[in-house]
Amino acid sequence: MVSFDRFSLKNGLKVLVHEDRSTPLAAMNILYDVGSRDEDPEKTGLAHLFEHLMFGGSVNIPEYDLPLQLAGGDNNAFTNNDITDYYLTVPSENIETAFWLESDRMLELDFSQRNLDIQKSVVAEEFRQRYLNQPYGDTMLLLRPLAYRIHPYMWPTIGRDISHIENVNLNDIRDFFFTHYAPNNAILTLAGNISPDKAFILAEKWFGPIPARKLKSRRLPDEPVQNSERKLTAEKDVPSNALYKVWHTGPRKSDDFYSLDLLTDLLAGGESGRLYTELVRKKNLFSEINAYITSDIDPGLLVIYGKLMNNTDIYNAEKAVIEVLDNLKDNKLQVKELEKVKNKFESSTVLSNTSIMNKAMNLGFYELLDDPGLINSEVEKYREVDRKMVRDAAHKYFLTENCSTLYYLSSRKGK
Amino acid sequence: MKTSARTQPTLFPFESRIMTGVESLHLDNGIPVFLIEAGTEDVMRIEYIFKAGMVREYLPLLATSTNLMLTEGSQNHSAEEINRILDYYGIFLNPAAEKDIAGITVYFLSKQTERVLGLTEEILFKPVFPGKELDLLLRKRLRWYQVNREKVQNLAMDQFFESVFGSHHPYGRQVAEKDFKQITPSLLKDFHSKYYRPENMAIIVSGKLHGQTVNLLNRYFGKLRSKKIFIEDTANIIGGVKEKHMHISKPGSVQAAIRIGSSTINKTDPDYPGLKFMNSLLGGYFGSRLMKNLREEKGLTYGIHSAVSSFELSGFKLISTDVANKNIQKTIDEIYREIRLLQTVPVATEEIKVVRNYMSGELVRMFDGPFALAESFKAVWEYGLDYSYYDRLADKIKTISPDEIIRLAQTYFRIDDLYEIIAG
Repeated sequence: MVSFDRFSLKNGLKVLVHEDRSTPLAAMNILYDVGSRDEDPEKTGLAHLFEHLMFGGSVNIPEYDLPLQLAGGDNNAFTNNDITDYYLTVPSENIETAFWLESDRMLELDFSQRNLDIQKSVVAEEFRQRYLNQPYGDTMLLLRPLAYRIHPYMWPTIGRDISHIENVNLNDIRDFFFTHYAPNNAILTLAGNISPDKAFILAEKWFGPIPARKLKSRRLPDEPVQNSERKLTAEKDVPSNALYKVWHTGPRKSDDFYSLDLLTDLLAGGESGRLYTELVRKKNLFSEINAYITSDIDPGLLVIYGKLMNNTDIYNAEKAVIEVLDNLKDNKLQVKELEKVKNKFESSTVLSNTSIMNKAMNLGFYELLDDPGLINSEVEKYREVDRKMVRDAAHKYFLTENCSTLYYLSSRKGK
Repeated sequence: MKTSARTQPTLFPFESRIMTGVESLHLDNGIPVFLIEAGTEDVMRIEYIFKAGMVREYLPLLATSTNLMLTEGSQNHSAEEINRILDYYGIFLNPAAEKDIAGITVYFLSKQTERVLGLTEEILFKPVFPGKELDLLLRKRLRWYQVNREKVQNLAMDQFFESVFGSHHPYGRQVAEKDFKQITPSLLKDFHSKYYRPENMAIIVSGKLHGQTVNLLNRYFGKLRSKKIFIEDTANIIGGVKEKHMHISKPGSVQAAIRIGSSTINKTDPDYPGLKFMNSLLGGYFGSRLMKNLREEKGLTYGIHSAVSSFELSGFKLISTDVANKNIQKTIDEIYREIRLLQTVPVATEEIKVVRNYMSGELVRMFDGPFALAESFKAVWEYGLDYSYYDRLADKIKTISPDEIIRLAQTYFRIDDLYEIIAG
């Protein structure tokens, strides 16, 4: 049970505190409600580039990392389609330093051309290292625009193209900051060796004076229902063929979310999952196969992907995947099999709660979903899913016309 | 807003010593057990460690294959059954074979303790290494191997170990495609019978411990007996190659992986804590000199790191980064320039203070929670040390002087000794 207190400042900043006295550390998480879905289609990658810039100094503090290191702290951040999240841990004696640092960069960044130029270059290297210089690294660059026609999930967080990052200027940055980085667009969470009283006093002291800002309103286009199957074949210099299939699903807050999550666990949660058992262990068609839902806030995707064994025909492999899915639709689930994936979810939730950082991060995200109590009650939502709900979800989403397929082929001979 | 209202808060000192102890005991048959009681959630972690790492293998892939095959079928359960049981009870099992040691780690809800002990005893001591499963495992691993060999990072890393430790030694030997054809069930049975033995193991238990943990451990592991058997020592001698510079060509690559380093002392050496400090300054944290210079000032790379790491018979230091092809030489020059600076110019007190505080904070994080404590304990137990190593490290972090940093950089980062491996 993760207990927490909740509180809002006048400027709109939401503050949540979970006290855990078993650790000498305190964790701080700041979630900004901005992700790559909020970008201009011609300026993609900006949200993530911005995350880098947040470490380049703020209005009263020339360097973010140095004072935190002096306080014994450590930090990092990530950006995804929906959110930008900054997190740190610090010996609790020095938690006020974290308030000082985070509030100053919420107040105003030091917009410097030099910092922008360097971080553009760092992000370009990141793009090359993670997307271009890895086998299969460009998969999402191919798959997203296949599955999405108009919704901004059609580009990955790193951006559609390196040139978008290279063309960003200081005005774009300043504009992005003042329309997205604001107390009224953020959630501050603390977990660990800190009392709610102390946290609220410090939040008021450091974040309280930051004015609320006029935010850019979010008007995202709804992705139209997909009415026909989409296929894309790419041939690349990789050692083996790979198959990627995605289906559109509902938003994070839809009722089907839990059924679909359990459905992918049935398929690929652990080595006893159906896809692994059937296609890797029994039929030897794949060397690895996985399934997951993207858990995006707007309607997301259910993804199944696998790398093929040598000499496996990719279309036969695809047929075998579909057979496994059809089997889920046609036959009743074993009670025990559903019980298994629920147990596993429960066990991984308890394990995740051993970390104050995880607790702070999850609490912030659930607050964004307007229900921080989910940190405790979500297990129940999973428990409530029954066999019929899973089967219904399979029938509802595993439709040929709702599917996009990427055949990622090896250009080498004999593969 | 007025700047005056935003004065930097006072920095306070904090405790960086371990507060939680380890209870050490022996099972009835002598197996050493270490108990770390901590945490708020009803979860536990048990790690079974055997001296069964790659250093014992007489053929490549033996240690890793034996380890991965443990869950692929036992006297009483098929591979599918084992996996179904693990998943059904929400047990997370991670097999691992490292250079020196191998074993499995399980994470589970404390209420499942007895079931976990029964199942892991069977997995560890009654595996049957079925041929069909082995064949599948090797085919899968060959696929992973082929994908990994496409990555310049792996090409450079594999070559680095070969150059530093020698192609004849298990620390340095690279795996080749043909090696996947040599592994058979009987080889694994042989390796298992020699190295997965009660007298060759230790057990580390951490978390919110089940009340009957020790009794149950004795029931499932305390009665195992085995005759000591004579194991021929492979007596490999570590020896790096003469050629210090190596370029592995990977046409079409948009970046090159650079790996620079050489063998060095390990955790048992009194200089090791100081070397850790010096290495942090150089490239061991986000504010390090290499990171500042190459990423934050020049934007040449997404990241650059320097690490000092231990093996049982040796240790190594390694600087690693990925950069655009046109910046390879510039990057290497800067790396050497930073090393030379540390060898010649005393580090300012302010900078020492930053590393001191950062590393002290790292120590707190390394001991935060039962699982972190267990991992930190294993990381010293392996070398015949105990938690007092961390006290020595904490002392060194507090007391190291600029002169000592110069001495360490001159002794352990001699530029002529360094291997320089580039893939791209």
